Amino acid sequence: SPAGVGSPRLCSTRGAPEGVNKPVIDRIIRVDHAGEYGANRIYAGQMAVLGRSSVGPIIQQMWNQEKDHLKKFSELMVAYRVRPTVLLPFWNVAGFVLGAGSALLGRKGAMACTVAVEESISDHYNSQIRTLIEEDPEKYKEILQTIKQFRDDELEHHDIGLEHHAEA
Amino acid sequence: VRCQLSPPQRALQASAVLRRVSDEQKETFASSSQQRFDSHPTDHQPGQEPQGPRPSYTGQGGQESEDYESEEQLQHRILTAALEFVPEHGWTAEAIAEGAKTLGLSVAAAGMFHSDGSELILHFLSQCNTKLSELLEQEQKLVQLGEAEKKPTDQFLRDAVEARLRMLIPYIEKWPQALSILLLPRNIPSSLNLLTSMIDDIWHYAGDQSTDFNWYTRRAVLTGIYNTTELVMMQDSSPDFEDTWRFLENRVADAMNMRDTASQVQSTGEALVQGLMGAAVTVSNAETSQVVR
Repeated sequence: SPAGVGSPRLCSTRGAPEGVNKPVIDRIIRVDHAGEYGANRIYAGQMAVLGRSSVGPIIQQMWNQEKDHLKKFSELMVAYRVRPTVLLPFWNVAGFVLGAGSALLGRKGAMACTVAVEESISDHYNSQIRTLIEEDPEKYKEILQTIKQFRDDELEHHDIGLEHHAEA
Repeated sequence: VRCQLSPPQRALQASAVLRRVSDEQKETFASSSQQRFDSHPTDHQPGQEPQGPRPSYTGQGGQESEDYESEEQLQHRILTAALEFVPEHGWTAEAIAEGAKTLGLSVAAAGMFHSDGSELILHFLSQCNTKLSELLEQEQKLVQLGEAEKKPTDQFLRDAVEARLRMLIPYIEKWPQALSILLLPRNIPSSLNLLTSMIDDIWHYAGDQSTDFNWYTRRAVLTGIYNTTELVMMQDSSPDFEDTWRFLENRVADAMNMRDTASQVQSTGEALVQGLMGAAVTVSNAETSQVVR
């Protein structure tokens, strides 16, 4: 690269408050938004098949919580001016197919899918929490709170899934 | 001045320029009008005496004095000064050399940059984008304070693109040259980055809050509008570029129509699906009732 060329402000840092590590926050919000979007579509797929069965209300309840999560990340996305993942259309279809596919295997299948997905989402949130705490817990207090809350919700879904997986 | 130096030589040049600056040219340097950095104790308006205390020298006979600035800051100042000479010399090392001269530096300072003027063009682009952001930020403040009307989207986009393109007018003769240099593979990452962040800025201030694929669609469409309008502007010889602004207006209107059409297609599609579903349910009900009977 050209020696000593001072780069003009080539990367937008707008949207983030002072001192926020924009690339890290960008990635976190984008991935989480994509994840919640995918989770939404999974539950939608499950509801399409099992909506009228006895587990319907439980799936609906978990789905509603995911919708809230998605809404929160959409707000964060606008606030921090993060771009959404370009794979959204793909997650749209893949999520729905996974949900519907697992539901077609029966209630056990749907619950097993939920357990697996929620477990990996919780792990993922945990590692994000670790990253942010390593960076600066004070600066990222609000986001940390949000992610912690959501991780707890996902763990709850995981436990509900286990409960019904065992029963069904 | 055609200076093709290897990287170590460039660095040497840079430090030589800096030393010359701090040793010999303090007065001219300090009185240049391009001071932008408030941390400098010797900053002052041209023609005035230095105000405030001068910090002491390090005392070790070192070259570092209160005139030290980073190489990057120096390059920015040189490039900004060079812009004045672009209409005459184009985006070339000559313009950079002339700019360096106005700052009291040696013309060899142009050796810090590529001979094709890439950095000068990118610097100019970055400056334009910053100016545009400031403009849009101010407009937004006025709207928030209630002192101005919120513009409808199409007008907002038109005005923003026009404001940005008007910044090219002083350099319009040499701009086609700049565009071709920006397309060099070496420059594409930077120029693309500047373009995308400018378009993102415009949409942000236009109030775009999409978090789905629309985010990409809107930016792609606006980028297309901007680029085509820019090209039209290069060929435009009408008074005050009115043909260009009319072209811009039509393209933005097309985009708005496309959006309406797309949403119409979507609702028609949804209605169709519902109709088919209804038909399927009716038929299956009819068959079931047949079986029951």
